[in-house]
Amino acid sequence: MSKPIQKLVDDLPTNNLTVSMLRSLDFVIPGQWQNITGFENTIRVVTGETDEDLIQQIGERAIYLYNDRSQGYQRAMWLYQTVDSTDVALGTAALANKVGERIPLLGFLNRLTPKADKAQTIDLSLKLVAELVAFCYINGIPGDSIGDFVASLADYSGESLMRMVALVCVDGLIPLGPDFILKAQSVLNNTSPNELEKNVTFQRISDAIPGVTSLNKLLFINESFDSVKGWMSGLVSSRDLTPQKVVNNLRQAIEVTDDKLDYLAAFLDVATNYYEHTGTQTLARRLIERAVAEI
Amino acid sequence: MKFPNVRRVLAALLLSMLLLVTACQTQASSRFDEVQAISSQQKSGQAVAKDATQGGSFNQFFPKASRGYERVFTQEKKGFAEAKLKKDGKDLALMAISDTRSLPTAAAKFKNATKQIAGYPALEIGSTQTAVLVADRYQVKVLSRDPSFTASDREALLKQFDYQGLAKLQ
Repeated sequence: MSKPIQKLVDDLPTNNLTVSMLRSLDFVIPGQWQNITGFENTIRVVTGETDEDLIQQIGERAIYLYNDRSQGYQRAMWLYQTVDSTDVALGTAALANKVGERIPLLGFLNRLTPKADKAQTIDLSLKLVAELVAFCYINGIPGDSIGDFVASLADYSGESLMRMVALVCVDGLIPLGPDFILKAQSVLNNTSPNELEKNVTFQRISDAIPGVTSLNKLLFINESFDSVKGWMSGLVSSRDLTPQKVVNNLRQAIEVTDDKLDYLAAFLDVATNYYEHTGTQTLARRLIERAVAEI
Repeated sequence: MKFPNVRRVLAALLLSMLLLVTACQTQASSRFDEVQAISSQQKSGQAVAKDATQGGSFNQFFPKASRGYERVFTQEKKGFAEAKLKKDGKDLALMAISDTRSLPTAAAKFKNATKQIAGYPALEIGSTQTAVLVADRYQVKVLSRDPSFTASDREALLKQFDYQGLAKLQ
């Protein structure tokens, strides 16, 4: 059986490379994201309640809601975990003797292979689609409501907004460059259903993507990317984001030279799990918000 | 000659520390263990009643946005709908309607209600919530999400729901 929700939230790290990376992206949305960990603590922070009996009731209702599979919360969690599942062995090695210190990238270069633009683009767009589908599962909107999702992006805050910021910075700007939206779109337009089927992440989450055939799913991915590109380019221009700026800030967590951006992207991909980390936080928050309103 | 002794002592010390640490951890998480065990026995249908009203049909009974306040719907599940009340980009409160068919204890707590809002039994819960029970079935709650949004603000907002419409739903 998968881990209970309270365990997932209790086990969220307070300080690891993922957390350091997200903290270093604070400059994009200052003060918006706090690394809230621990199930009881999350209940206190989200609801503002201090009464122990109430906290118990809220926690119990949240657990019931999560464990009821018809409610879609477990499926959303699985999506966040799956699009993020990478070679954690490398990340663990990176951290073994380095918690709280800066991690030099050079030592890991010989164990990394940067992804081709096509693979990177498919990864970026699959993460976007996973966000959209998980959003629908969590909030109860039909799975193909691209319009509802795009409208709600304007209201994204806290950990959800941080996840999207990290997506733009770490899976867009760093590996694909300042014009990553145009580049990704042109790559997507030249991707065949056959190529999509070869992508490991796609193979795993394919069932969750609307559409019967791979071609339908590819069209849905294209449509999703097209709908969110306005929001992404708005974020990039309003914060004046460049790969250089992002890297300068990431230097708080990782020692990196500017000509190694491909390797930095590959390193972050295998050594961090920001989707799963912030996804767990989003899910816990929504469960608790519903639980406290229902009890 | 001395080293094996030191090692043995160290091993014993580490082992007892490990036991102590794991014992503490088990104790700390036990508060939700029982409900976890019960709720994971049945895979589906234990949290929301089969005949619960669809969340989408609640939306029309929420107060409309007005005078600089924004209303943003956030969740719409079977038996539950929720919206935020925002002003100048800040979350002030959450508004929710839920069907107590899924959670009868939520309705039962109103038996002790001494207060009424719009003619329905009402309760203050904890430090952030005010709730109303409509037609013995639908619970309407307003929850403060900013310290500036007080209990009397919650009550004023609760008066703006369409209770007559909601009562006719069942």
